[in-house]
Amino acid sequence: MTEQEKPLLSVRDLTVTFGSFTAVDGISFDLYDGQTLAVVGESGSGKSVTALSIMGLVELGTRGKIEEGEIRFRQPDDSIIDLVQATEDEMRAIRGNQISMIFQEPLTSLNPVYTVGDQVAEAVRLHQGLDKGAAHDRVLEMFRLVRIPDPEDRMSQYPHEMSGGMRQRVMIAMALSCDPTILIADEPTTALDVTIQAQILGLMRDLREKTGAAVLIITHDMGVVAEVADDVVVMSQAKIVETGSVYDIFENPTETYTQALLAAVPRLGSMAGQATPAPFDLVEEQLL
Amino acid sequence: MTSTADTTPLVEAVDLSKEFPVANRAKVHAVEHVSFTLDAGETLAVVGESGCGKSTLAHLLIRLLEPTGGRVILDGQDITDLNARAMREHRRKMQIIFQDPFASLDPRRTVGRAVEEPLVVHGVAKGSDLTDRVAKLFKRVGLEPEMASQFPHQFSGGQRQRICIARALTLEPQLVIADEAVSALDVSIQAQVINLMMELQAEMGLSYLFISHDLAVVERVSHRVAVMYLGQIVEIGSRSAIFENPQHSYTRRLLDAVPIADPRKRRERPLLTDEIPSPVWAPGTAPERVEMVEVSPGHLVANESEGER
Repeated sequence: MTEQEKPLLSVRDLTVTFGSFTAVDGISFDLYDGQTLAVVGESGSGKSVTALSIMGLVELGTRGKIEEGEIRFRQPDDSIIDLVQATEDEMRAIRGNQISMIFQEPLTSLNPVYTVGDQVAEAVRLHQGLDKGAAHDRVLEMFRLVRIPDPEDRMSQYPHEMSGGMRQRVMIAMALSCDPTILIADEPTTALDVTIQAQILGLMRDLREKTGAAVLIITHDMGVVAEVADDVVVMSQAKIVETGSVYDIFENPTETYTQALLAAVPRLGSMAGQATPAPFDLVEEQLL
Repeated sequence: MTSTADTTPLVEAVDLSKEFPVANRAKVHAVEHVSFTLDAGETLAVVGESGCGKSTLAHLLIRLLEPTGGRVILDGQDITDLNARAMREHRRKMQIIFQDPFASLDPRRTVGRAVEEPLVVHGVAKGSDLTDRVAKLFKRVGLEPEMASQFPHQFSGGQRQRICIARALTLEPQLVIADEAVSALDVSIQAQVINLMMELQAEMGLSYLFISHDLAVVERVSHRVAVMYLGQIVEIGSRSAIFENPQHSYTRRLLDAVPIADPRKRRERPLLTDEIPSPVWAPGTAPERVEMVEVSPGHLVANESEGER
């Protein structure tokens, strides 16, 4: 990313605790316009808590507490707001509108008793003040954008009538329906089958070109990182271990943790020509 | 590793099928005419996506489910119709490890008791012999024997899966079915557990039926691979045949879908939206039985009709 550009989101010295447990420990990173930044790490590394902090959901939905740090967000009018200090009213105006989020399990994110069309329509009516007809048209447009086949029919379906891949498309449609400048995707393909995951990753790359939204993708999967990210933040045990472009991280990881993480990633094609199975060459596995 | 004529395979599935009744007399054809063999000391991976029938197949092999058709032959003996009592002896030879090691351990029992239970149930050991064997098993899977007095919640996911492996090994089985056994683990832990499973195979001559949706893991661990789609095996062959010379369109599609952990090999992804058809069949209808063609020794591919998927 270009150096002079002002970051869209700037996280500084963020520390989040849950009681005596420090989930995020003094992390700092920047996200720029149109950038896809991957936050990668293993279970408990603090990557999801980071995402929830940006959304202002840590203190609202969980027992977590942001102990210190700033999350500076540049709003569309170029004013900067610190999301840590923002009031709940201010957050509500930002959340869903300017920063939206999709989660791992689309079924639990959707209300089972409303049609998916109504749920996406509710989001645009609430956030953008559209009337019923305009909201309907907007939903249709969004469903087409995320390539849901037969969008008109699909709008009247309930979540249980859809496959996991289609549900995740609905969630992405909902998240993008208010033209956010940042989309946070927390393990968006982890619960999906591999062929469906490939479809959603392709879709996310396509959407990024079409919408220009910056994407913060949270994942444990280095394969997903390699497929979509421009830049990578590697987290381990609440701290950032290493930051760099996707090429730096994969080709010249400087930290032992990153090296160990990469060594453990199964790579398709790595066994070509070998007759029998072979164990992984692990790097100082006791470190992990 | 094609089986030679003079050795009996450890496991043979012959034309196995399983249908589940659903509403309105329709049926889910979960497993459709599946046949394969698995040799001693060999790993056969079964890959496919959710709902393709790979777990049902595993349950049929160890007779947690009764097949609607076909036979299971273990070590040369047909076990399809054995009664519960006769099965007991055979169950020792086959063990299964599941995806979620927390759900497979009783939260109110120490892990030592979980591991010793098979020995007690089968009357193999008691007293100090029992304690010794459990201690050995703990060491074998990389845990401290003292940990036996702890409870499942005191362990990490990777440790719990090691405990489940220890329990599966107590009766010195010949076949271990690993049903997505490493899928829930973090990648570094996953690699360690896979390495452990390979060591154990080399030491004990175990056969694995390795069920997984993760093709990169499968490429690591398997001697042979079976690809399942809608209840049927659409391609089966040696690891190199499947990964380096895939023939069936579905196998190729699966392989193309795997994200490559190398940003320079990023591939163009066509914006597809098609999905796997439903395995539910209305009364009186059934999926067409596909014929397998041997393209090279041991490499069988299902015939694809005009309507290639």
